[in-house]
Amino acid sequence: MFNLIRRDIILQKKMMLIFIPFILFFIIMDTTTTLTVLVASLFIPFNAFYYDEKAETNILLNSLPYTRKEIVASRYLGAVVYMVLAVGFTSLLLFVFNQSFSLDEIAIGSGMFLFFAALTFPIFYIFKPGYLMVVVFISFFTFLFIMENAIPYILENYTALAEYVMDLSTLEQYLVGSLTVMSFYMASWLASTIIYQRKAL
Amino acid sequence: MENVVELKGVTKAFKGFSVDDINLEVKRGFITGFVGANGAGKSTTIKMMMNLLKPDHGEVKVFGLDYKTNEKEIKERIGFVYDGNVFYEGLNLKDIKQIVAPAYKQWDDELFNYYIDRFDLPLNKAMKKLSKGMQMKASLAIALSHHAELIIMDEPTAGLDPIFRREFLDLLQELMIDSNRTIFFSSHITTDLDRIADYIAFIQDGELVVNQSIEEVAENYAIVKGELELLDQDTEKAFVEVRRASTGFEALTNNLKEVNDIFGDSVVIENATLEDIMYYLRKGGVHHV
Repeated sequence: MFNLIRRDIILQKKMMLIFIPFILFFIIMDTTTTLTVLVASLFIPFNAFYYDEKAETNILLNSLPYTRKEIVASRYLGAVVYMVLAVGFTSLLLFVFNQSFSLDEIAIGSGMFLFFAALTFPIFYIFKPGYLMVVVFISFFTFLFIMENAIPYILENYTALAEYVMDLSTLEQYLVGSLTVMSFYMASWLASTIIYQRKAL
Repeated sequence: MENVVELKGVTKAFKGFSVDDINLEVKRGFITGFVGANGAGKSTTIKMMMNLLKPDHGEVKVFGLDYKTNEKEIKERIGFVYDGNVFYEGLNLKDIKQIVAPAYKQWDDELFNYYIDRFDLPLNKAMKKLSKGMQMKASLAIALSHHAELIIMDEPTAGLDPIFRREFLDLLQELMIDSNRTIFFSSHITTDLDRIADYIAFIQDGELVVNQSIEEVAENYAIVKGELELLDQDTEKAFVEVRRASTGFEALTNNLKEVNDIFGDSVVIENATLEDIMYYLRKGGVHHV
């Protein structure tokens, strides 16, 4: 399983070189920390799908002594591992460039990443390869748009919910937030496993 | 004799194509050649052996084990070579080895390096920059480096030049010195199989029509030539397929003994090559053996 996760580093060695200027660009452009964290986290896991969407790769992985359950699990666990690394790295860069950032922003960025991953990962297992990256790009910007507009809308119109959330202590807010994201992520994991196990290669 | 692979009543249907009720046995310690025209169902059958496809009905057992409960144990013991390159085409062999090697408990670096040397493979060149023959050698080197008991190959000789094809067949024979090893490989080039296969499995239009040892095939199958007057409703039953011409008939039999009993010396009998068998069965409407 660990080998499957490590595979992404071997595959993306060259992409890593683009990673640093890519993140620097976001930092220099003075984007919000939340967005920078989100984009940095997306980098490796979604590139991985770009490599893995080819039919041949699925034949290779499934001919090696791995089960389909493990192949899917490595994607979901790998995404968390690479997210943690990306967050660490981004924080380091922010620190070096003397930009202030809060734990809240990082938590929201990571939460958004997990949420987005949970939404899109099953798509990779459903559709045939070819234009998946386009689908993901479109859904990413749609996702950002919704996040930017829907949240303020909900806060304004569903004041009871908003008040409930506001009344929680910071710790409780973190707890509720992470539990929601986690259960969503797990449900997505389960769905992907079921889909992939039925797939003909 | 022990079966390494057993397919029992395996059926898989696609739109406009199906593999029907396949009963196939692959014997331990031998080379089984899997013949059939393009599109006959060879790759589909191999995919079911590898658990890439699940049969609609029937049972697939490898090493006597079931994929449902022992998927990893089975795959640990299989080396695979496919028609096309399945390895990341942008990576070189060194990186591919780093990905594949840790997947196997029995991976042997020394053995891998031996094959790299023997096949003259470049470690630092991207897969996509290698010729088709080189890609096949690379797949083979990877397939052979974890002491696999069963080597499954889908059309490994397609696209190889004649010299390397010969070398490749020699290598397969060399691998068989290990009596525990089994090779199953598909090909539509029948001369490859004539040369090295111990058993022949022949698939046609999704049906397995022959699964016999090469000796049995030689004993039972023959091309029979004779005069047209010899043919009537009864005598024709000895043949799988008959082709008539003004000068006489030419037919394929799968029951040489019966032909000898019926016709004796009045006909000319020639050995049937795999190609003959394939050709006659393809033309014929009779699929039963």
